[in-house]
Amino acid sequence: MTMAATSHDTPVETAAPSTRRQPDRTYWLLAPGVLWMLLFLVAPILMMVYVSFWTQTTFKIEPTLTLKSWITFFSSDTYLGALWTTVRIWLIVLVSTLLVGYPAALFVGLFVKNKTLSTALLVLCVIPFWTSFLIRVLAWRPMLGKEGAINMILMKLGIVTQPIEVLLFSELSVIIGMTQIYCVFMVGPIAFMLGRIDPSVIEAAQDLGASFWRIFRTIILPLSMPGVVVGAIFVSVMVLGEFATSAALSGRKVNLLGNIIVTQVGSLKWAFAAVAGVVLTILMGAVVAALLRVVDLRKEL
Amino acid sequence: MSAVLQLKNVHKAFAGVPALAGVDAALMDNSYVSLLGPSGSGKTTLLRVIAGFEQPDGGEILFAGRRIDGVPPHERGIGFVFQNFALFPHLSVAQNIAFGLENRAVAPVTDAKAVTARVRDMIGLVGLTGLEDRAVTQISGGQKQRVALARTLVTEPSMVLLDEPLGALDANLRTRMRGELRTIRERCGVTFLHVTGSETEALAMGDTVLVLDRGRIAQATDAGTLYSRPASADVARFLNCYNIFSGAVSGNVFESPVGRLALGGVRQASGRPAYAIRYDRVAIRPRDAAAAGDEVRIEASFVASEYSGAAINSFFTLDDGRVFEVETHLSHAAPEAFEEKARYALVWKREDALVFV
Repeated sequence: MTMAATSHDTPVETAAPSTRRQPDRTYWLLAPGVLWMLLFLVAPILMMVYVSFWTQTTFKIEPTLTLKSWITFFSSDTYLGALWTTVRIWLIVLVSTLLVGYPAALFVGLFVKNKTLSTALLVLCVIPFWTSFLIRVLAWRPMLGKEGAINMILMKLGIVTQPIEVLLFSELSVIIGMTQIYCVFMVGPIAFMLGRIDPSVIEAAQDLGASFWRIFRTIILPLSMPGVVVGAIFVSVMVLGEFATSAALSGRKVNLLGNIIVTQVGSLKWAFAAVAGVVLTILMGAVVAALLRVVDLRKEL
Repeated sequence: MSAVLQLKNVHKAFAGVPALAGVDAALMDNSYVSLLGPSGSGKTTLLRVIAGFEQPDGGEILFAGRRIDGVPPHERGIGFVFQNFALFPHLSVAQNIAFGLENRAVAPVTDAKAVTARVRDMIGLVGLTGLEDRAVTQISGGQKQRVALARTLVTEPSMVLLDEPLGALDANLRTRMRGELRTIRERCGVTFLHVTGSETEALAMGDTVLVLDRGRIAQATDAGTLYSRPASADVARFLNCYNIFSGAVSGNVFESPVGRLALGGVRQASGRPAYAIRYDRVAIRPRDAAAAGDEVRIEASFVASEYSGAAINSFFTLDDGRVFEVETHLSHAAPEAFEEKARYALVWKREDALVFV
């Protein structure tokens, strides 16, 4: 505004329009992105919300608005159970990726002084991604199965006499698989934030007399919180939308909202799949919003 | 006064390269000590060894009569002020200062009122009143320096190590902080060990100046003695106010690359023969002016001069290509004009020269 006002005051009138038009022109840089998002994100979401109110019969779907699919969803134990399972598995995986990922990030980001080595270690974390997602998930079967590697070793060592059956085709196997796959998304952001901590800040705290745990609690943890939040957002968004890991490792015992959507779409129940989709979107939105309240990322990054 | 810190033959090497090669020193209680050394002389290593961030390879460190090598940093009672301040970026000014009191492993202050009172006193002492709740990212360089100092002083250390504390400040602020650091130290009555690469800072700040050269203390004395009687040619070189010739003494003359210089002053044993004459003890005369009997005279061609208000520094090239510097204090005089590339006689009194044998 000030720019425009000053250019009006200048005697050279011809200069004024070009200065004023400049900010408008830069908006065109946004056009491809905005167009893409409108067509392939906003429109489909609106469509999904709209379709969730359509009338679904066994063989066809009609654009007559009804609440029937919504009522069915919230009055069915199966679907509410799937919602609860999704939330439960998400929370457990979030905590387990944090428990496994934070110490690893602490080592890579803070205790490895050599920058080249810490970059190399982070790259090592990504190596599993060189194989396909499905292979990484399915590889857990020969590991966790009744006659799998883990049971074989435990039996050979005489720690157990019977194979532990709960290892595969259970909620545990889904949690193990997801923790392994998504852990790196927790390690990366946390290691990045820890790597940015000035080593002399930690030495200063030492010099002022604080023990390692005190320093961790009062300095290292608060300074790494933005990394924890970014990592938690990555893991949450991916775990909440998961269906492949539970399909491959749970033997259909664990049904997540993602699995519900896959089944419903498979049997052409579009309205019902849309309801589950809207619920999932709202859940993710709420989780991300809650995580962002923990730390002001704009201030910290 | 007694020695608060004693270093005996302290050694430290990094990957086989010696950083400290047998440091011996004694620091007096309640004094301001500056440690001068060129970059790479091991001064930061020495400070980190005293603070406990690095372990010495050999030698003894005695602090208040107790051996402290091997004792972890937080049990030493020695404060450290970092060059880049190393403030806790997520805490406010007051929280930064309170950190040590609240979080130290030995005798933490748990009473919130006592912490607040001591923090308030310290904030007053370093002149930060009114900024208690500011984030440390929102204050100026000089204020950060004060927070760093206050954060250390509030824990009542028996000694404070300052690693180039004024290095991150602009020139104007640096001069002002010099005076403030001395005042704050006098009020607290603790020993400050101030590391610096600037000879003016070392001379201005220190009751005692230690000169560190290649991992050894080359000289430890008061500023006046250091400036007028450096112990070796190397120390004279750091002071940045001596023209130095290498060569050898033969009888009553010094054989230097620019000719034979007659001797008359003090000779000091230092191991390596050298001849040093202070910039401001040299007079510039026309080439045809005769030298008096007690004077030394050489010839050189004028290159350029640098005017700094109270003094003017003139640069000459000697016959062997070496640069020779002359500092003329102007007081009331106007600076003389010299002709570029013209030859002049540079004259000084025999007894003003320092001769190292």
